[in-house]
Amino acid sequence: MTRLLTDKVAIVTGAGQGVGEGIARALADAGAAVVIAARRAENGKPAAAVLRERGHEASFVRCDVTLETDVEAAIEHTIDTHGRLDIVVHNAVSPPGPPGPVQAVDPNVITAQIATSTTASYLFARAAHPHLAANRGTLILLTSPAGMEGSGNLPVYATVKGAQRGLLKSLAREWGPDSIRVNAIAPVAWTPAMTTATQANPTLQARLEARTPLGRIGDPETDIGPVAVFLASDMARHMTGQTMAVDGGRYLGL
Amino acid sequence: MARRALIVGTGVADRIAAGLSGWEIERTPGAESLDLVVWADYPAAACAPCRLTDLSLAEWDEACDRPLRTVIDLACEAYEALAANSGTFVVLVPLMASAGGAEYTALASLGEGIRLLAKSLAKTWGADGITAHSITLDPHAFLAAQDAADIAADNALHDPPLGRVPDDTDDIAPIIEWLASGNAAPLVGSSLVVDGGLWMPG
Repeated sequence: MTRLLTDKVAIVTGAGQGVGEGIARALADAGAAVVIAARRAENGKPAAAVLRERGHEASFVRCDVTLETDVEAAIEHTIDTHGRLDIVVHNAVSPPGPPGPVQAVDPNVITAQIATSTTASYLFARAAHPHLAANRGTLILLTSPAGMEGSGNLPVYATVKGAQRGLLKSLAREWGPDSIRVNAIAPVAWTPAMTTATQANPTLQARLEARTPLGRIGDPETDIGPVAVFLASDMARHMTGQTMAVDGGRYLGL
Repeated sequence: MARRALIVGTGVADRIAAGLSGWEIERTPGAESLDLVVWADYPAAACAPCRLTDLSLAEWDEACDRPLRTVIDLACEAYEALAANSGTFVVLVPLMASAGGAEYTALASLGEGIRLLAKSLAKTWGADGITAHSITLDPHAFLAAQDAADIAADNALHDPPLGRVPDDTDDIAPIIEWLASGNAAPLVGSSLVVDGGLWMPG
């Protein structure tokens, strides 16, 4: 991949697996030093090690994105270890729980979904702002097509993903004068949750692919990652407040 | 028998309640049957301009996360009562939720979150005869007059083609009544923008 992000430093949350890990790899391949922020060291440390084995600058920081102290420590780690911060990708989200109507959702799932989505987006935005302002940086939030069309099976997930879109549009207006761009990606891609769902339901993958014009579910590193690279690069320097659906055409009407 | 509505919130919610003549109005949850729920309980902390970087975590929680949780809990609590009467769930949303608004990040997050909640409820509750909708209103419905004027200027909104923005009591309440009537039955999960033409998205 063209090295669009040489000398840039990125932090990616939920980067120990799935879409976050794929984005981290793509950002690193594009030249960025990458901080893998993950709650579980058993995921985050190997993810950072893979980047170093590929010859990239990378580190791991343990981070529960719902905790103010962890988020501030993660930003501090980034500056102390890599010297600057240009790109924040907030991807982490707690599991949405089993599909079902809102009245059947476990109250603990609601608490965790709000904490990892809106609270964490706020915490990372606030903590990263001075560094992003200093470097004409960018904030990328991972939302979902569910955050645009709603979801009958995952209503709380759709709610918090919609809330992130409300945040990003307002923040794009607020931070425009600081030359900070704020955008979102709404992917449909292979994640651990998607893998679990397709294993539990053998016909699910075929049904999803049949409804997708490009005929397949996205790969985190090679399908979603390059879009994050684009948004983080100067190629997208005149884009802010936007949500890019990277879903193989699954949700054309959004 | 009068139809029964639960109207949650103050300000714009009060003005909507005033326009629902002939309805039995509840202001707190608990009724066994409901024909209509209207939520517009935006906290004062969300409706005053403030940069995100000036918000403490406690202030963010008060302005966004806590009310977001409250409206989800309200939906859970109201489900049985709405199902009993094939009722309608309506949330009122500030224009900034969809269009963005500098210094209103918490309000916009909250508003866009509940707009998507309404769409999501509509997808599953339809089988139980319940409809759900959102109505996007102009900033004046939620903000102090000068703050609303500032947002209109910042967002380069149109001057209202009709020469005025909608009146919550005289213009918006009848639309909610219509949504709650059988005449609107084919309308499911809609996101109506009723702002007098300030924005005209799409």
